[in-house]
Amino acid sequence: MKEWLLKKDNVQDLCMGASKKWETYVPLEEIGGDVQFTKLNGKGKRKSLEKPRLCAQGRGKLNLDYEWLVIPPKVIAFPQLESLFEFQQGKVRETISPPKKRLLFGLRACDVKGILFVNDFFKRNFEDVYYLNRAMNSLLVIVGCKRPLKNCFCTSTKTGPFLEAGFDLQMVDVDDAYVVEVGSKKGEEFINTYKKFFNKASKEVVAQSKKAKRAAGEAVSLKVDFETAIERFSKDKIPQEIYERIGERCIYCGGCLYVCPTCTCFHVFDDKKGDGGRRWRNWDGCVFEGYTREASGHNPREEKWLRTSRRYEHKLKYDYLTTGMSGCVGCGRCLASCPVNIGISKFIQEITEERRIT
Amino acid sequence: MVKNEYLMYPARVEKIQKESFDTKTFKVVFEDKKMAKSFHYKPGQFVELSLLGIGEAPISITSSPSRKEFLEFTIRTMGKLTQAMHQLKPGDRIYIRGPYGNSFPFEEVKGEDLYFITGGIGLPPLRSVINSVFDNREAFGKVKILYGAKTPDELCFKEELNSWQGMTDTEVLLTVDRPDEEWKGNVGVVTTLWDKTDIGPQGIAYVCGPPIMIRFVMEKLMGTGFKGENIYVSLERYMKCGIGKCGHCNIGEKFVCIDGPVFSFTQLKEFPEKERAI
Repeated sequence: MKEWLLKKDNVQDLCMGASKKWETYVPLEEIGGDVQFTKLNGKGKRKSLEKPRLCAQGRGKLNLDYEWLVIPPKVIAFPQLESLFEFQQGKVRETISPPKKRLLFGLRACDVKGILFVNDFFKRNFEDVYYLNRAMNSLLVIVGCKRPLKNCFCTSTKTGPFLEAGFDLQMVDVDDAYVVEVGSKKGEEFINTYKKFFNKASKEVVAQSKKAKRAAGEAVSLKVDFETAIERFSKDKIPQEIYERIGERCIYCGGCLYVCPTCTCFHVFDDKKGDGGRRWRNWDGCVFEGYTREASGHNPREEKWLRTSRRYEHKLKYDYLTTGMSGCVGCGRCLASCPVNIGISKFIQEITEERRIT
Repeated sequence: MVKNEYLMYPARVEKIQKESFDTKTFKVVFEDKKMAKSFHYKPGQFVELSLLGIGEAPISITSSPSRKEFLEFTIRTMGKLTQAMHQLKPGDRIYIRGPYGNSFPFEEVKGEDLYFITGGIGLPPLRSVINSVFDNREAFGKVKILYGAKTPDELCFKEELNSWQGMTDTEVLLTVDRPDEEWKGNVGVVTTLWDKTDIGPQGIAYVCGPPIMIRFVMEKLMGTGFKGENIYVSLERYMKCGIGKCGHCNIGEKFVCIDGPVFSFTQLKEFPEKERAI
């Protein structure tokens, strides 16, 4: 692998420059401190990324040291609410966004794993043009985590804090610069296009980056026995009692699904205005009672524990059976967002008999 | 660009047949003649049927591929879309995409005796197989159709049931839960028809109906000695996309929309116990 050096001072110029050719998304810190993956305005209207301003898209401070993105970057290609069709007087118009080159700059490793998982899902069997048009021409640039949070367990799921493959570029923080690893031809072309921002990385600095990667991995303090959990699923039936116990605490709000980088379920509905209207889709989730309720009223998953079981078994069992990939990328968002403090990591601790959920 | 699988195609309602107080059969033709000719489906498949501004729902095709260039859907008024469908008149436009899902075994069961066991609104998807069989009658063995409804009024395809009765080597056995004054046939659930005729254990069983009926019919078929792989069930699930994306119809690692809706009893037994919901 060939490594390059990108000075931190050059990052903003690189992003602003790239945003003229690419639809560029970067982690922007909005007022209040939340970091969102946000589209940069590439038309030169924004000269600087530095000063936080209120609300408007693309206004805020570029923050590659962010703790986490509350909403995973799946939202870029799979928005919470999106129009499928528009109709007017019996004429149907498809509202598909045209394929576009997108640069996703500053992703975390776990989120790249999530993106790859969702890409594979929307390509499998029938292809979903709405998603694929937004997702398939993306350049994925990782900036690895330096300070993993207390809910992160990516070393257990082997999805971070750095990846071996799957990215186009991967950046490792080394003081005043990043060591940039090239993971694909697309990534190499990107560096060639913006060569003025990149220098060759010396042996010393590459060694330093390797050390930084190891240190980041060691800093992930939450460890769960992921392999044993997966194995238990393949051999054994998880007792109903466990799901019932979780169900007593769970308020079935669906928060964990909305913030999950690999959840893809959606609802479809029409609205009507005069002789026109739209067909929409929006995020949905398997923990909701109405998710499986048929028009007749019959509901195969009326009992709460069945929905709890679905939620965990989908991620840790069925995704493996279909894809060989885990539906959990160890990002910890489900635990962080949970009003009753349950997440996949705690579920794994429960079924590997490390710690009981009470 | 990738094909937009969600795109629906306009079709006209040609004829509406009232089946019972809450059920109608719609005969439908694609507006585009090429589309009408090139739309191939197999018995047991379904389409996504929609009305603009109302919504979309998966509806099984009740016509047979052996009768070409039109489609039929038998629809009970139930949810938002089906209620709106019941307001339609001949000449009105609907939208269709599909066909989706797998199908009932047909070619591979030639020469076999066939048992169709169904209740309520479960007959329409089986009718697609039944008429395909009758359009190629000599290729199959005995045909027995066991059909139950709540009341005599709620039996679908009343005239056709009579004409099926007249086919070679065919028996049509009807039953109702609540007879009216004119009803002279059997009273009771569909499994009570086991006493009126010989069933299996050789041959293929096709089952569709409400979950509770499916559960009892399965027990009865297994008790009669049918093999699990010779029993086929069409499952009903809440569905949105029909193409394995929206997630609603998942059972275990399968989607009813693309891996089903037809499953053998052997396959059903592999599903998570409680989620079989039959």
